[in-house]
This record gives sequence, C-alpha cells and structure tokens, in this order.
Amino acid sequence: MKYFGGCDVGSTYTKTVILDEDGRIVSANTIKSKINSAESAKAGLELAVQEAGLKEISDLTYLIGTGYGRNKVPQAAENISEISCHAMGVHVTDPSVRAIIDIGGQDVKGIAVDTDGTVKTFAMNDKCAAGTGRFFESMANAFELSLEEFSNLSLTAENVIPITAQCTVFAESEVITLVGEGKPRNEIAAGIQQAVAKRCFVMAKKAGAKDAITLTGGCAKNQGLKAAIEKVLRMKVIDLKTDPQLMGALGAAEYARQKGL
Amino acid sequence: MKDLKHMIYFEKLLDSAYNDLVREAQAENRVAVGYTCFHIPEVLLNLDNCFSVRLRAPYMGSTEIATYYLASSSCEFSRAILERAIEGGFQFLDAIAGVDICECMNRCYENMELLDIKGKNKDKFFISYVDVPGKDEEITVEHVVEQLQRKVLNPLHERYGTDISEKAIREAAEKHNEICRIISEMGEMRKAENPVITGAEFHKIVLATYVCPKDLILDKLYETLEELKTREPDKKSPFRARVVIVGGEIDDPDMIELVEESGAYVAADRFCYGSIPGRQEIILNDEEDVLTQIVRFNIEQTACPRYVTPNKIQFRQDQAAQLVEEYHADGIIYEQMKFCSYWSFERTLQSHVLAEEYHIPTLSIDRPYQAKSSGQLRTRVQAFVESLEIKKIKARREEAGK
Repeated sequence: MKYFGGCDVGSTYTKTVILDEDGRIVSANTIKSKINSAESAKAGLELAVQEAGLKEISDLTYLIGTGYGRNKVPQAAENISEISCHAMGVHVTDPSVRAIIDIGGQDVKGIAVDTDGTVKTFAMNDKCAAGTGRFFESMANAFELSLEEFSNLSLTAENVIPITAQCTVFAESEVITLVGEGKPRNEIAAGIQQAVAKRCFVMAKKAGAKDAITLTGGCAKNQGLKAAIEKVLRMKVIDLKTDPQLMGALGAAEYARQKGL
Repeated sequence: MKDLKHMIYFEKLLDSAYNDLVREAQAENRVAVGYTCFHIPEVLLNLDNCFSVRLRAPYMGSTEIATYYLASSSCEFSRAILERAIEGGFQFLDAIAGVDICECMNRCYENMELLDIKGKNKDKFFISYVDVPGKDEEITVEHVVEQLQRKVLNPLHERYGTDISEKAIREAAEKHNEICRIISEMGEMRKAENPVITGAEFHKIVLATYVCPKDLILDKLYETLEELKTREPDKKSPFRARVVIVGGEIDDPDMIELVEESGAYVAADRFCYGSIPGRQEIILNDEEDVLTQIVRFNIEQTACPRYVTPNKIQFRQDQAAQLVEEYHADGIIYEQMKFCSYWSFERTLQSHVLAEEYHIPTLSIDRPYQAKSSGQLRTRVQAFVESLEIKKIKARREEAGK
C-alpha cells in the first residue's frame, strides 16, 4: 500500500494528514506551530507517520507542503498554496460545496470552488490580523476565557453589543471599556462574533457565495462565529464531516495522492 | 541559466540613489535632477550638462517621520521618498523636477521643500511643481509645454547654464532613443517560449537605466545585450505560467522576484518605473517645435489612471489585453501601491473589466512599498499561478477530447 502526505504549516497550528491509495485518512494531527516552520512540519509528520504505522517520513510515496511554511516542509516533493489545498480538501470531504471561508491564524480567505475541487476565484484580507484566529485569541484573553468558553458565552446572548473597532489592539481596548461599564459580557462576546462575521461577508461575496458556504481553518470550530455568520450572511453554513482545521493538509495530501499514484 | 556578467553591477546601482555613477558624473560637475513621475519627460532632464535620477528609496524601513508630515493614508511611495529625503538620501541632488500630479506626491515635494532637504552648498537647488491637466487634449499639451519651459528648463538654464535649445533637446532625444532601442530589444526576448532573460533581470536593467547617467552605463548595456543573444536558457523553464504586470509604481525588483519565485514569469511590465511606457523611442519630425512633440508623445504614451477620459480608459484596457497577446501571457497581475487613490480606483474597475469582458484571468493586489517579506502576497500570487496552470491543463484536456 502506498501512502501520501499533506502538511499544512500555519502561523498558529501545523496540521498533517496521511491518506492511503483509496483516499482514506489513515492518520491526522494538529500541533501548535513552533517558531521554526521546518521543525513544526517535522514534528507533525513524525507523529503522523508513526500513527499510520510507517517508520519514517521518507516512507510516504509523495508529500506536499502547504500553508505559510509550505516551502519548509522537509522531504516534500513540492508545495501548493493553502488556497488551492483548502479547496481540494473541502471538495473531497463534500463535493457539493462551492464557496469556502477559511479563517486561519493570521488571515481570512474567501474561495470559490469548481466542480473538480480546483479554485475558481479567491479573495484575501489585508495584512492586519483583524477578524482572524489571532483576533479571537486576543479577545478571549481579554475575557480571561478559553476560545471554547468564549464561543459558548457568545451563544447565550439575546442581544448584541456592536464592536466598532476592527483592529485587534483597539478592539481589545474597546472590549475592556465595555466590560468596565458593566455591559453584559455575553452580549459583548456576541458583538465580537458579529464583527468578524461582517468581515467574512465581504470575503463570501468576493468568492461568489450564493446560498451556502462552509468554514475551514481553526476558527471554523467556533460555534458562536458560525451562528453569527449564518445570521449576517443569511446563508447556510455547511458542516463538514472531517475536522475543518485539517482541510488544507487534507487537500495537500489529496494532491499528493493524485500525483503519486 | 548562467549569470549575466554585469548583473551584480546593475544591482549595485540600485542599492542607493547616490550610486557610483551619480558620484562619478557629479565629480565632473554634471547636474543631477531627481524626478519620480513619467509625466516629466525624462529626456528633458538629460540635456547638455544634466542627467536624470528617478528617485527610489531602497531598503526603506519605517516611515514614521514621513507619516507624521504626510498622513497614514498617504501612499507608501510618497512616504518612503519623503522619509529617504529626510534621512539625507537625496542631498546630492541639484534639482527635483516634481509634478503636481497627485496629492500625495505634491505634499511629498512640498514637505521636502519645507524641511529643506537639500545638501550643503546646493544653493542653486530648486523643486518644480509642473501642473499636468487630467485630459489628454491639445490644450493640455500647450499647457504642459509652458509649464516645463517655465518651471524646469528655464531654471536649469538660469541656475546651471544648461543648453536648453532645440538642438540640445534633439541630441538628448537621440541618446534617449539609443537606450530605448537596447531595452526594447531585450524586452522583445521575453516573448520567447523559454526566454533567455527573466522578468526580474529585465526589471533590474530597466531600473538601472533610470537611476544614473545613461552614457556611463551604455557600454554595459550593449555588452549585456550581446551576452543575451548567445545565452542558453535552462532546458526546462522553472516557470509554470506567464503574466503581465499592470499597475502603478514598482521600483522594487524584489516584487518581480517574488512573483517569479511563485512560479509566474513576468513577460511584460506595464507599470510606472517599467519599460512600458518609458522605453519607447521618441520619433521627432522637423516641422514642429521639439518640446511640443515630446510632451505630446508623453501624453499619448502614458497609461496613468489620472486620465479619466473615455478614450484613455479604453486605451489602458486595450493595451493590457494587447500585451497579454503579444507576450503570450496566461494572465494579468493588476497591482497598486497601498493607498494610491488613482490606482485603487483603476485596479478595482479594470481588473473586473479585464476578467469579465476580455476574459483574461486577473489577479488584483494592493501591495506595500517593500513587498519581499509579504507572505500573504506570495500566497496570492502562487494561488493565481496554480489556477492558471489548472486552466491550461483543462484546456489541453478539452482539446485532446475533441
């Protein structure tokens, strides 16, 4: 049996997926990214090959790197942008999806997917971290909550207090002010989710989303954000049967499978 | 491919505005005239004892001081140029031929003047503000001729004794055309399926011709041209797609390198500080006064979005599409400097028109002044290259299926 790897070295997390010849996931993991991309990839891949019952990374027939550290993945035959990989990862998970919003650690992307899993068009946010995973981390820290607790808190709100600042630094200061004024914390949290959802609206439109989208990236697990996006975009958010954070690595592994078979 | 013999020499000229050839010319009492915009005809700054230096701010770090004097919403180019001027990087200049073309650059020049950025003993230094109307009509030509005569040529003559006669302008045009012929011949080589020159190499050579006295670089250009004629390309091209870059100011070769490292060969350069426009021969007749002819040529050639007349808008669209065809490109990268108001409007509109009406795959990007370290930009370009590659594969499959 041949095995194929995809390693998505993101700014916050490194994700690895190994597929068999039939495209079945035999191993997958997510680890915190280190400062050195090559070390992150090596750690993720070593874990994955072990779980797949292989001896070493070189036992993979074909390996593709993706994500911001894509050109640092050791022993990778090539690298492919995470935009193409997310599209392919979603396609093999649910071929009906035509639009994706990928909310990663440091950017937000809107991706339109063709019927064969290739990218039709895409849009990306600018350099700043507004509306990204880093933004949520910062907001959750301000509330002294974990990301999951923060997400659950926002879901309990009946009203929303809008957050005007998009800049991570200014938004944190605005949140602290609102908390200091005694405003309900769950409504502030819902306001933060709404602010990010509005940012996703632009990306979704640029990606040509019509009636449904799916979310990928670490922030896709944020149920409060999902609810806010459904409300703001007035679209159904399609849940993926595989961990949405793994989509980039899965897409890379699928490309590796197609090329290595 | 084997490295070009003079490439390191050209690169070194780009390290600083006050490069070795500028120093050499000034040691011979030649007059250095800085400028930033195509709307100042470069040839007029190369008359007699003068030579032009198109201003850049290589290795620019923070622009905190310039941002204080301008605003954070000013384009990054204007801030970088002002910051470099404040740092003392332009103290060698004898004059700056500025144009009142956009608010950001106008304020950049204005602050240079207010902050007295000139060097010691540069008592004759001046900054001009040439007014250029926004319509490409004959009255614009007349107006710009008057402006250039009064604000650039006459001061050069009065302060530095420069010969600004018709004969001197014609001689300068001939020298300018010689450079253009060399660059054009090199540029044509980019049309080949597996070219002997990369887009980044070409851009560095073009930039070198903008930033120093042209006569001092001529021998190296001729040698490089001859070298290119016999240069062997790599057997397998490292590029997966070909693109035309269209847009505003790019004086940073790292930007072209970023695109090429992402897999796209830059086949044509339709941007400010590129060769289209900028390195086309000026054909002069004997009937009309030479200054008028040069100004009219410049206004006809410019693809600046400042001109919003329907014929100019159409010209820019058609030119971009024509370059794609001529240079066998698979798509266009439409770019702008962050916060450039003219190009932001143009980019938004034209990237849509070129994709939807001309059916040319187009990537639209806004970029910082220094782009090399932008991971997001790299990802966008690579994803665009991948989409172009997939389109080509699909087209081949369709063709095979017929």
